[in-house]
Amino acid sequence: MSEMASKATLRAPQLYGYSEELARAEADIARLESQLRIRPDDLEIRVRMAYRLFHRASLTGKMDDFDAVEAAAKEALEQFGPKEDLCLLKANLDFRFHRLAEVRRDLEMAPLLPGRFEGRILLADLDYQEGRYEAARLGYEHLIEENPTWDNQARLAHWKSKLGDVAEADKLYEEAEDELTAKQMRSFAWLELERGVLAFQHGCYERAWKHYRLADEAYPGYWHTDEHFAELLAAEGRFDEAKALFKTVIARTPKPELQQALGELYLLTGRPEEAQAWFDCALATYLESVRRGGVHYFHHLADFYMDARIEPAEAVQWASRDIEMRSNFSTQAAMAWALCLNDGPIRAVEHISLALHSGVQDAGIFSTAARIFEAAGQPGKSQFYAQKASQINPTYSNFHMHH
Amino acid sequence: MADHNDPNAVNHIFSDIDYSPADLYDLFGWPTAESKNVVFALTFASAPAAGVLDSDLLYRLLMTSHPRVGWPEAGEISLESVLSYFDAVKDKYIGELKTAEVRVTAQTPSSALIKFIGFPCGNFSIGVEVDKVVAIPTPDGQTIKAFVGGRDDAFFNDLTGFFRSINYAPQFYHVPHTMTEARELQIPKTLLELEGNDLFNYRPDMPEWGISQPDGTVPKLDLPPGPWKWNGDRFKKDTDGNFRFVYDGRDCRAGQNCNAIILEMPHSFITAATSENRLVNAWGESWVLKAAHKVEGIPDDPSWLEHPWKAVREKELDEELRKYKLVDTDGQPFADAALSEREDDRQLGANNFWLGPHFIKRLAHLGWGFGPSISALGLKTSFDHNDSPVSVYKTYDLVATAFPRVAKTLFQRLNMPDSSWNPKGLPIPLRRPFEIFIPNVCAVDMDTNGTWPFGRRLEDQVATRFLAMFLDMEAEWNGKKYHVDLLGDQALWDGAPIVPKTPPNPLKNDKEFLDQFPYLAEPWPENW
Repeated sequence: MSEMASKATLRAPQLYGYSEELARAEADIARLESQLRIRPDDLEIRVRMAYRLFHRASLTGKMDDFDAVEAAAKEALEQFGPKEDLCLLKANLDFRFHRLAEVRRDLEMAPLLPGRFEGRILLADLDYQEGRYEAARLGYEHLIEENPTWDNQARLAHWKSKLGDVAEADKLYEEAEDELTAKQMRSFAWLELERGVLAFQHGCYERAWKHYRLADEAYPGYWHTDEHFAELLAAEGRFDEAKALFKTVIARTPKPELQQALGELYLLTGRPEEAQAWFDCALATYLESVRRGGVHYFHHLADFYMDARIEPAEAVQWASRDIEMRSNFSTQAAMAWALCLNDGPIRAVEHISLALHSGVQDAGIFSTAARIFEAAGQPGKSQFYAQKASQINPTYSNFHMHH
Repeated sequence: MADHNDPNAVNHIFSDIDYSPADLYDLFGWPTAESKNVVFALTFASAPAAGVLDSDLLYRLLMTSHPRVGWPEAGEISLESVLSYFDAVKDKYIGELKTAEVRVTAQTPSSALIKFIGFPCGNFSIGVEVDKVVAIPTPDGQTIKAFVGGRDDAFFNDLTGFFRSINYAPQFYHVPHTMTEARELQIPKTLLELEGNDLFNYRPDMPEWGISQPDGTVPKLDLPPGPWKWNGDRFKKDTDGNFRFVYDGRDCRAGQNCNAIILEMPHSFITAATSENRLVNAWGESWVLKAAHKVEGIPDDPSWLEHPWKAVREKELDEELRKYKLVDTDGQPFADAALSEREDDRQLGANNFWLGPHFIKRLAHLGWGFGPSISALGLKTSFDHNDSPVSVYKTYDLVATAFPRVAKTLFQRLNMPDSSWNPKGLPIPLRRPFEIFIPNVCAVDMDTNGTWPFGRRLEDQVATRFLAMFLDMEAEWNGKKYHVDLLGDQALWDGAPIVPKTPPNPLKNDKEFLDQFPYLAEPWPENW
């Protein structure tokens, strides 16, 4: 019998981050690929493979990876028919890319899926995206009552952050965090980022730093966290650091919205030529996505033509296409500002009023409203919304990204 | 990318469920050293590997020692009396009983911290190396043997056969997690295949169907569209008139490992009054660190390190536990799988008192499946199935209607195969099912050899003994009263009209157990 002295060493923190999780996802995919070579018609392995591909794509954020998920899901659906888990995966994928009509069709492919817990989550998300806010709230609340999962608490928190009370939203995010275990650190980091964004959007940079740093500590090496750091650095006027970080993130994940943000940062710092190079990259990717039938960059294209390259007619076109798919306070406000730039304030007032009628409490939308009402010759209303914007976020005019 | 909140972007696990070190397998417990010591072995999934611990996990082995309290010999057999018993147990566990615990956390993947909390000699802790047998001196001058690390999984069982007996679809079919109605299908539970039960009957063309393969996969079929019912009226028979057994007796855990916390501790370490407190009740729990506390880290209190014998205030320990989430509990074998339907919200450990009424209804539901199967084999059953010629799918909303069917099953004393369980020949009453499962603890009787249900020894075939609850213990076979190992007797199957002619589960583990601490066999080599 051996003995060991009773010297307890301090617990070494074991924080696996982005690269470890990605390596594990890649290993799982390789293992499933080898299993599929032996049993190509095994439904369970095919489904696992599709979900693992989704996992990897969610990690990298790369379009090629999402294309692989799409192909795997489509192939499996063709081979095995509308199995619930495949339909659910496709619905989640379509929701992520704003293909809202497709989401509904995906859910309806498996007749019982819309009534399932997972199906009802997506239906509540559709309600939110399509501007039926009360239905969305009730949906989230019922789901939480049934099973208080962290992700549904986060959904309700987001609802509250836009349409309710900010403190309540933060509390809900915190409660969602309490549901998570050490095996879900990416989700925890994501919630911390959401809390940081909440603070950022209310001008509380110090608090935003705190949450972003915690996210980084919880899940090291995640480009999504760096993206938030870069935005915050830029908002604080630390432009060189922000540019360097944006470039690092773009090198890892060449997302066009980041390229646009970096271009805007160059524009803000008086370097238009460098800005244009980044805008070109961003625009090429946006348009390539549209050429391939994508719709999720409509919102960014509208923003692009309002803020990066001012071409109001183009902005109206993309904002219109976006609002056709999902009429909500975000698309309505974008449409309003595009119209204001292109045609003047008359129709813009109509659209911004719709957005305001939703009850949204957002500095960006209030700031847009103030500018539209000013252009429409309604100084009282303009001042009112300018004050509201300033109350919510006194630093709104600082650099910020189009999320 | 998206101008909206989308938690599913990070919530990727809604299809896959990882192999989790929080998954508790079994709790074994039996007396040793002429009843002076008791061994407990808590086994759990060997993730990340056998002999490598996960530092996010916390394991608790809770125990309490008290006198043996037998059901009065002339006790009334009624629903009221059994419900009163559940209430009395609840009062005892919630009120007067003080539990002590052994708490284990990983410090590094190869070392663990063991804390002893609430024992008569005070609280203390010790760091141990994984995969090593350690002698731990206690503050009161005794010695505890401890082992934390990788072992061969001591469970030997035909799991696939069990899942076939309860028509558990996910073992045989691809069942999306969303389809909660497609787990235990509404087909009679049975020990003998049902004529026309094409969803679950053995398929000669797919001999490995539903059986775990060496690469970790399980050959499954696509679940056909419902309704998933059975409309037959008889058990299946072959041309020779033999029934087809749902079991084939294979060891589905052969060649597989677990991680284990194994302790051999003096009874006098657990209780000062060893001569009165002849029962040691124990249960295990697994907890996972909450995400928020993973970031914050849990630096161990330096006092633990510098003064391992130092008592720790109760409050500080609760602080530690508050940083974790309870995931799994384990006391009695089959308490989860067979009686609680493995539902997450029923992970109550010993505190499963409120499941008492559910336990009666579930036992009646199982009885309608297994009772007629036993009768068809020419054996006598403890379950009242009205001489049904075939298994019946029946559930109960009311415990009052279930109870008369299951009263005998609940109250009958489970005969033992011989007298070896009671080496001292003491007047120890045989145990009854309702006492075994409520509370959900491994109850080691220090005056027995600790074989189930007087504890649980490694060599006990508990799955087969569980089925024996449905045998009528007043009946005789070959001139001997039915007993808990009857269904493990090869001679019974040799003479039964059934194929394959095998006991339902393997009679022994795939690896020999050790005759000395840590008793569980060395782990198998792992190549993954």
